Amino acid sequence: MSEPPGSDLNPAAAVSLRGISKFFDDVTAVDHVDLEIGDGEFFALLGPSGCGKTTTLRMIGGLEIPSEGSLRIFGDEVGPLPPNKRPVNTVFQNYALFPHMSVADNVAFGLRMRKVDRAETASRVAQAISLVRMAGMENRRPAQLSGGQQQRVALARALVNRPKVLLLDEPLAALDLKLRQEMQFELKQLQREVGITFVFVTHDQEEALALSDRIGVMNEGRLLQVGTPEEMYDAPVDRFVADFIGRSNFLAGTLEDVSTVCLANGTRIRVPAVDAEIAAPGSTIQVSLRPERVMIAEESAAPEGAASLSGRVSAVTFLGNSIVYHVGLDWMTVEVEADHRPDLRRHAVGDDVVLWWRDDAIAVVRP
Amino acid sequence: MSDATLEQSRRALGEAERQRERSERRRGFILALPSFAYMVIFFAIPLVIVLVYSFATRTSTGSTALSDWNLDAYRKLGEPIVRNVVVRSVILALITTLVCLVVAYPFAWFCATRSALTRNLLLVAVMIPFWTNFLVRNYAWRILLSAGGPISSFTEAIGLGETNILFTKTAVVIGLVYAYLPFMILPLYASIDRLDRRLVEASSDLYASGPQTFRRVVLPLTMPGVIAGSILVFVPSMGAYVTPELLGGGKETLLGSYIVTQFLTARNWPVGASLSFVLMAVMLVSTIIYFRSGGKNL
Repeated sequence: MSEPPGSDLNPAAAVSLRGISKFFDDVTAVDHVDLEIGDGEFFALLGPSGCGKTTTLRMIGGLEIPSEGSLRIFGDEVGPLPPNKRPVNTVFQNYALFPHMSVADNVAFGLRMRKVDRAETASRVAQAISLVRMAGMENRRPAQLSGGQQQRVALARALVNRPKVLLLDEPLAALDLKLRQEMQFELKQLQREVGITFVFVTHDQEEALALSDRIGVMNEGRLLQVGTPEEMYDAPVDRFVADFIGRSNFLAGTLEDVSTVCLANGTRIRVPAVDAEIAAPGSTIQVSLRPERVMIAEESAAPEGAASLSGRVSAVTFLGNSIVYHVGLDWMTVEVEADHRPDLRRHAVGDDVVLWWRDDAIAVVRP
Repeated sequence: MSDATLEQSRRALGEAERQRERSERRRGFILALPSFAYMVIFFAIPLVIVLVYSFATRTSTGSTALSDWNLDAYRKLGEPIVRNVVVRSVILALITTLVCLVVAYPFAWFCATRSALTRNLLLVAVMIPFWTNFLVRNYAWRILLSAGGPISSFTEAIGLGETNILFTKTAVVIGLVYAYLPFMILPLYASIDRLDRRLVEASSDLYASGPQTFRRVVLPLTMPGVIAGSILVFVPSMGAYVTPELLGGGKETLLGSYIVTQFLTARNWPVGASLSFVLMAVMLVSTIIYFRSGGKNL
């Protein structure tokens, strides 16, 4: 489901962007982004490098000033405010811990800058350090910590200020795979515990799917779609989104009416009702077909009434838990991922097969 | 393989290993030999000579007797005349260092935040004065600062009246700052360039104002540059001779001229030597202390 761009401002939104753009010289880094992030939400901005996601995050944090548009945090316009005047804190990529200060001094920094009294500072710092399970390391310098520990200190340093919104810039990118998976879990846990709105930027679709309540996918400065992980996977509205989150086959076609598509080879298939905002009847579209949702069967074995296409197997790749078939249709090649099970028939290169799917297994996307 | 042959091969390998280490050490020593010899001949030996002379005796005719060793010259350093000269020199060197620091820091920051091309141009500009003879540059300042000179004409033209800065302390400070500014700029530039800009952003994100960020994050992290630059400016300012003579008119005796006077005019080599040696030792010790503590903190 995409965020309707013209919708009214929701006063309860933690972060609200209306028509936000950012230009660097003549490069448009962020292009008219409309976005609302709810209170307490764990929100991911997902996209390839250079898509404008980090610039968007930096604008929310005040490290960049938007070129146009309105940016509100809990209803207050903050567009032109410097970072130190905003109720948000950032966990930087590579953490940006102060190397000349101990863990405790790093964590206490924000409170000291705001002249919070000593006793309260001490207790809040201790609390934040134990929240991220770093108790006993207060006197270490950042250089004496591992990557995962630095990550925790960076989190404590931001959370101790009780920001209304916590921004995280590629929080897990610097960690190795195993640690990343552990920290993913911890981060999610932590967000539930503190109940603060988390907005994080990542180029890793798995991370976005695993962590967030909602995802916004960006490409070339534009926000293409916003939705829950399931919505983004099951019902992408843009070819880029379908391609970036998971893998997909794209069948070219024309939308004949709200729920009928005529594929390039003339086959008519039924599709879930297409929103007028995605495509109007008569327009050229693509049908996204996930490899694992296509069934592969011997000729004439497709169930009655299901959409189907015939083709010939051109390649077989064994992946352990699954088998990937490349099936050549007369106008394109489709990738099919079938379970590897003893009870399923294995097809060989050159076999004539039929591909079929349930009507609700596909999505119509903007080309 | 039997234990005996195993032991034998282990011993042979150990011997080969030691031999390689020895030859590597030897190679390093040979490569360092020219500069080592240079330091011994032109630094260590003269220093020893100075040290020896500082314990010698001045005869009544003004020559130096290399006998009758004593500490008279060092006792003389406690006298008010010498103390005044030292205090005056330290104050002047401190002022020079401070002015250099205040002028150089913003400039070094500006340099370090420009594009590669601009920063190279700016750094070359900083070095250009070195290509002109030091004496010529001091004489140029004499003309600039003199009564009726360009600066004076300018202040007169804007109605501030004639200024005569030449032969004042101000002139000396101007000359010293001008001479040693590059020694402050370069280390500052290097340390600011190394500063991770994201730390500045992090500080600002954590509610620090600009001045707070400077004091809590930027300054501590660029302190190595500040200290290195300060040593590089303070040390030569303490012993400066040409600039105080030419721009200060030798009105107020500073350490450099005092030492020269001891050697050439008063013909009291032991006092000149002892003063030189103490100056040298103080600088050396403070520099070593800095590098020792710097090594631990950073």
